[in-house]
Amino acid sequence: MKIYLSILFGVLSMTLVAQSTIQGHVTDQAGLPIIGANVYLKGTYDGGSTNDTGEFSFKTEAQGIQTLVISYLSFETFTLVDEVTKMNKLLISLRDEVNSLDAVVLSAGSFSAGDNSKISVLKPLDVVTTASALGDFVGALQTLPGTTTVAEDGRLFVRGGDAEETQIFIDGLRVFTPYSPTTNNVPTRGRYSPFLFDGITFSTGGYSAEYGQALSSVLLLNTINEPDQDKTDIGMMSVGATLGNTQKWERSSLSVNASYINLAPYIALFPDRNEWEKPFEVLAGEAVFRRKFDNGLLKLYSAFDASNFELTQEDINSEDGVHFKLNNKNLYFNGSYLGMLNDTWTIFGGLSYTHGRTKVGLSTNAIDDTENSFHAKLKLKKRFSSRFKLNTGIEYFATDFEEDFSNEFVSAETYAFDNNILGSFAEADIFFSKNMALKAGIRAEYLQIFEDFALSPRLSFAYKTGSNSQFSLAYGTFNQNPTNDILKFEEDLDKQRTAHYIFNYQYNKNGQIFRAETYYKDYDNLITFDSEFADFDSEYSNEGYGYAAGVDFFWRDNRSIKNLDYWVSYSFLDTQRKYKNYPKQSQPDFINKHNISIVGKYWVDAWKSQIGFSYGYATGRTYTNPNTDGFLDQKTKPFNSLSLNWAYLISPQKILYFSVNNALNFKNINGYQYADSPDLNGQFQRRALQPAADQFFFVGFFWTISEDKSSNQLDNL
Amino acid sequence: MQKIAIIIAIFVSGLLNAQGNYENGMMKAFELWQANNMSEAGHLFERIAEAEEGNWLPKYYAAHVSILSSFGETDESKLSARLEKAQNLLNDAMTYSPENPEIMVLQALLYTAWISYDGAKYGMTLSGKVYATYAKAQTMAPTNPRVVLAKAEWEMGSASYFGQDTKPFCKDVERSLDLFANFKPESEFHPKWGKERAEQILSNCN
Repeated sequence: MKIYLSILFGVLSMTLVAQSTIQGHVTDQAGLPIIGANVYLKGTYDGGSTNDTGEFSFKTEAQGIQTLVISYLSFETFTLVDEVTKMNKLLISLRDEVNSLDAVVLSAGSFSAGDNSKISVLKPLDVVTTASALGDFVGALQTLPGTTTVAEDGRLFVRGGDAEETQIFIDGLRVFTPYSPTTNNVPTRGRYSPFLFDGITFSTGGYSAEYGQALSSVLLLNTINEPDQDKTDIGMMSVGATLGNTQKWERSSLSVNASYINLAPYIALFPDRNEWEKPFEVLAGEAVFRRKFDNGLLKLYSAFDASNFELTQEDINSEDGVHFKLNNKNLYFNGSYLGMLNDTWTIFGGLSYTHGRTKVGLSTNAIDDTENSFHAKLKLKKRFSSRFKLNTGIEYFATDFEEDFSNEFVSAETYAFDNNILGSFAEADIFFSKNMALKAGIRAEYLQIFEDFALSPRLSFAYKTGSNSQFSLAYGTFNQNPTNDILKFEEDLDKQRTAHYIFNYQYNKNGQIFRAETYYKDYDNLITFDSEFADFDSEYSNEGYGYAAGVDFFWRDNRSIKNLDYWVSYSFLDTQRKYKNYPKQSQPDFINKHNISIVGKYWVDAWKSQIGFSYGYATGRTYTNPNTDGFLDQKTKPFNSLSLNWAYLISPQKILYFSVNNALNFKNINGYQYADSPDLNGQFQRRALQPAADQFFFVGFFWTISEDKSSNQLDNL
Repeated sequence: MQKIAIIIAIFVSGLLNAQGNYENGMMKAFELWQANNMSEAGHLFERIAEAEEGNWLPKYYAAHVSILSSFGETDESKLSARLEKAQNLLNDAMTYSPENPEIMVLQALLYTAWISYDGAKYGMTLSGKVYATYAKAQTMAPTNPRVVLAKAEWEMGSASYFGQDTKPFCKDVERSLDLFANFKPESEFHPKWGKERAEQILSNCN
């Protein structure tokens, strides 16, 4: 009997335990009810959802101390640990999840391209389908506001800064020689093929303390972490050929890519204004190896390219023109490891190395430059919570530069310098709420060449004003050492400095983006010299200064008209500086006051084609007319260019691509070259500086061979 | 002896009770799903997943519900919140059950949800991943009907986009139907969905 009783009791105890009711009310921070939140006791099956008024109520047999969990999309999960019997009449307000897509972002000054970036202005494809860009990522960025049109140069000129003021980083590591060498009337291109990158951030000011030695801008390129599959890419173009192959294994992958470009046939067909003795020729190879570890990723990237050309260019001072010959070899290596130390700590370590050798023959001068540079970086990130993160690191840049110069009068003169910089930074990201965030950092550098310290505070703040709009502010000071062209002649100088003040407004709604940004930049300590060109016997100083102020507008829309995606950029820039050999503060000759860029892409489904156009307009650039008293007070006529492209998908893996730059054949003038001495009438004669060719045509056929039969090289074009 | 019997009896009844909870919970969740009450079903799967640590099935179904409900969502912030949640659930499921072709199918489906939201933005980067995921699943489980069906459906989608013939994939769908007919799930709650979808697709083939 006793036994039966105990069994009965035992079984009953499992089934007939006391029930308690858990009940409460869930709201957001503003007190509005949250409907449909999941409410439950952790580890049990007991729970329910909140109703239309945010109320929940459910019964449980669990007893004692339990954990109540309330979760809802885009809100931080709430937990309460308490006695079950006390879990009634609960009033709970959930905090917004600050990582959600509609949360505020610290966006002042930067444009991103990528899938998962919240402030993505460009899509990965845009870099390569923008008509004027010809597959060069720098070309695509030049359609964004804040850049100026310096068509003959091809590099990035940002907000009144010259091209040297923009630094480029691959996976956080500096690229010392990012551009292919070129002659002065043919735009350069980025050395690295766009298909290696899946994320691009282009900051036109106010950037993070992690980046230094850039007065105006940084361009951050991230390489692909993991390719999808084995494939072979074949490209045949009117200017050369490319061949690429990717192999993927369980944990690692290897991509190799080779290309050969020779402009000789093209120039034979369409002669340009240069007299080419040896048209541009480049042989390039790249390899990327990636390996995944349990808690990290190792990437090794190396690229080698060799280019050469030889030509005679028109010159007002020399009837026979000026002879120019160039031979460049460039090796770049970039290796990095990114790993998770535990749930909250991340470590990054990396090294980049550049070896560049350039031999130039200019008239009778022989110039032989050798640059060896490296950048080492160690970075630690700590995530205290989704609302507070700390990023800190230390890095070292070293440049060893040597130039051998000789001509008929000078036999082998050598100019050399070492430019080593130790940098460190610490920066915190703080989210006060989903609507308000702050990034505050500081960067310290020791500049060995000047035996000097530089301290740069950086600050940015963002506040969300509505569900689709926000404004942000950014402030920072930036310093940069003089360029190799100056340091090779004079080392007794100081860092150049600038301060940025930025105000940004952004509206972003399903497929439509509007951005307006106004800024002021204050330049100080710029390099000046007292001769026509920076030369070995010039007097150098840091007495230059200047300012830049402007407004940038950007509008992108891919929803209003089906299959049409377009963007419009407008920049107004007011800038003057006194630097180099300027007698007074003036608007430099690489500046346009007004820049407009319109890019459109239209997908024609019936033709399986994407048709694109890109139109650029810029007001005239300044030049000095020695027949008048002024300095940089004359202006060229405005710049106009309309480029068109057509990508036709013959089959999913075969693409035919046509493009023409400056389709309407505008005769653009970039400036004027005046004679050194006046003619018989006392007038200085001049020659218009025109691009080598007004137009450029391109035809290519791209074929991808992969198992899936659907990948193609659309993203490489 | 008797005492031991009592202890065993109590222990077993407790165990049965817990087992019953899991079964009842899963059954209830599937009922909610059948009744098209997706969010409640998803919530219940999540609760079960929390209670049954180490079991990939509730995570799998919670992710499945989240992915399905994201198709057709036009608000990007809602879409990304749902898909990120689904991705986290799938990541957990994959740690509990690595190299599982059933989970791979869902992973590919999740990528497809991104692509169907904005092909220009996600198509280029994710379509290769979708294919690679299906290809891997197929080498691991060539006779799994869901792998065969999902892969065929994806290939039909790409073919019709490029104006190519979708017929060659119809026989894969037919094959999946044969496989569905002979498919024995490991347990009552292991994935067994997809037959209706295959029939539906096949009806468009003729």
